[in-house]
Amino acid sequence: MLEIDRLEVRYGGITALRGISIEVKEGETVLLVGANGAGKSSLINAVMGLVPAESGTIRFANADLSSLSCDRRARAGIGYAPEGRRVFPSLSVTDNVLAGAFGLGRARQSEALSWLHESFPLLAERGNQLAGQLSGGEQQIVALARAMASFPKLLLLDEPFLGLAPVWIARISEAIRAMQRLGTTILMTEQMARPALKLATRGYVIRGGEVRRSGPVAEIRDLALADEYL
Amino acid sequence: MHGIISAGIIGIGLGAQYALLALGFTLIFGVLGVVNFAHGGFYVLGGYVGYWAVSSAGLPYPVAVLAAVVATAALGYLFELVFVERFVDEQLATMMLTVGLYLVMSTGVLAGFGPEPADFAFPVTGSWHGGGFFIPWANLIVLGVCVLAIAAVYLVLYRTDLGRALRALADDRPVARAQGIRPHLLFPLAFALATGLAGLTGAVVTPILTLSPHVGDSVLATSFMVVILGGLGSVTGSTVAAFVVGLIEAYSDVYLGGSKGALALFLLVLLILIAKPSGLFGREARRA
Ligand SMILES: Nc1ncnc2c1ncn2[C@@H]1O[C@H](COP(=O)(O)OP(=O)(O)OP(=O)(O)O)[C@@H](O)[C@H]1O
Ligand SMILES: [Mg+2]
Repeated sequence: MLEIDRLEVRYGGITALRGISIEVKEGETVLLVGANGAGKSSLINAVMGLVPAESGTIRFANADLSSLSCDRRARAGIGYAPEGRRVFPSLSVTDNVLAGAFGLGRARQSEALSWLHESFPLLAERGNQLAGQLSGGEQQIVALARAMASFPKLLLLDEPFLGLAPVWIARISEAIRAMQRLGTTILMTEQMARPALKLATRGYVIRGGEVRRSGPVAEIRDLALADEYL
Repeated sequence: MHGIISAGIIGIGLGAQYALLALGFTLIFGVLGVVNFAHGGFYVLGGYVGYWAVSSAGLPYPVAVLAAVVATAALGYLFELVFVERFVDEQLATMMLTVGLYLVMSTGVLAGFGPEPADFAFPVTGSWHGGGFFIPWANLIVLGVCVLAIAAVYLVLYRTDLGRALRALADDRPVARAQGIRPHLLFPLAFALATGLAGLTGAVVTPILTLSPHVGDSVLATSFMVVILGGLGSVTGSTVAAFVVGLIEAYSDVYLGGSKGALALFLLVLLILIAKPSGLFGREARRA
C-alpha cells in the first residue's frame, strides 16, 4: 500500500532522513520507533506532503505521490493525526471531526459521525465543547477521530501516546484497535515502544535518519526498548 | 430620556454596519493571514456601483444593492486568485498589493465620478415616531439588512461545511490541508465573501451617510479599531466590539459632540485595550 524508497528529507543544512526505505502492506500496522530527532515526524510529514522530499520516491496505492499536494493526498485516502494532536482549538469537538470528513457529503459525514460516536462516547458527550478546552488525552481522541472521519485507507499516527498517562495510553490503544478492526492500514511512530509494540505487526527502529533494524515485532523489541531510554 | 433611546438606536445601527465590515476584515485576516488594506475601497466601490446602477442604469434600488454585492465579491475573488494567492504568506507583499488596490480603486472612482459627494439618496423617506423621538425609516431598514447579513455570515461560518473548513484553515492551515481542505479553492471564496460584505455595507450605508471617493479611509480605520478591540481573528469578538464602538460613538456624539466625541471613543477603546491587551475576545498572541 505504501512504498517509500531511499527517501531523503532536508531542512536547510540539516539532513533529517538519509535515504530511508520503508514498506507498509495492506492491513498492517507498522511501527517506527526512535529517540527524539531520529526523523520519525519528518517521514510522516513527507508522506503527507507537508515537507518536501529531497530525493527518493513515495508510492501510495501504486501511484507516485510526488506530484500531489498535501490536500490531494488526503483526498486520495491518507488520514493524518499529527504529533502534538493539533486539534482545531476554536472548533467544537463535532466540527473537528466533521472537518476531517470535509467535502464528503452529508450522508457519509453522518455515517462517520455515528460510527465515531459509537466507538468513542466522549465525542458525543462533549460534542459542543471547544476542542482547545479538552485535556491532552481527550484531544488525542478527537485527533484520531478527525483522521478517521474520512475512513482513510492509510492512517498516519505521529506519537499518539505523547505526554499521556497510562490510563489514557490504554484508551488510545483501544481506539487504535477499533481502527484496525475496520481494516485500516496504519503507519505509526512512537517513542514509548512498550505499548506501541503491542499494537504493531512489524516495525522499524530509526536512528539518525536511517533504519537500524526492521522486522516483525519480536525481532526489533530489544533494540526498540533500548531506544526508549536513550 | 428620549436622547438616550434614539442615541441607542443610532449606536446599534452604527454597530451593525461596523460589524459587517469587521467580519469581512477578520475573515480575511483569520483565514489567509492577510491584512486587507483595500477593505474600505470595497465599501466605496459598493456605494458607487449602487449609485451608478440607480442613477445611470435606472435600476430599482434593491437590484442596485445586489449589483454592488456581486461586483465587489467578483472583484475580491479575482484579486485574490490573481494577485494575493501567490504571496499569501508574505506579509509585506500582501500589504503592498492591498494598499495598491485601494489606491487604484479610490483614484478610479475619483476619475469616474469626481471629487464631490454623490447624490445617492435612500429611496425610502419619512421617520418612525416613537414616543417623542424620531428614527428615519431608512436607518431602520439599513439596520435590518445589516442584522440579516450578520446572521447569514454566522450561518455560513458555523453551520456549513464551507464555514467549518474556513475556521479550520484559520486555526491550523497545514493540518487543515492534511484533512483534504483545499486552500486554493477556499481563499478566493473567503476573500469574495468578505469584500462582498464590504460592498453590501457600502451600498446600503452610503445613501444615509455620504458617498465620496475617500470615505473608505475612515472605514478602514474603524475596521482596524473594531477588530483589534475584539481580539485579532475572533469572529465573535469583532461582532461584539463593533456594537461597543457603535454605541460609544453614538452616545459620545450626542453628549459630547463631534470631535470631542471621536476623541472620547478613541480614549475609551485605548483604556479597554490597556486593561485587556489581547482585546475583548482575544487569545494571547495568535499566529499572525
Ligand atoms: N522544521 C524544521 N527545521 C529544521 N530542522 C528540523 C525541522 N523539523 C525537524 N528538524 C530536524 O530534523 C531532525 C528530525 O526531526 P523529526 O522531527 O523528524 O524527529 P522525530 O523523530 O519526530 O523527533 P521527536 O521524537 O522529537 O518528535 C531533527 O534533527 C530536527 O532537529
Ligand atoms: Mg516527531
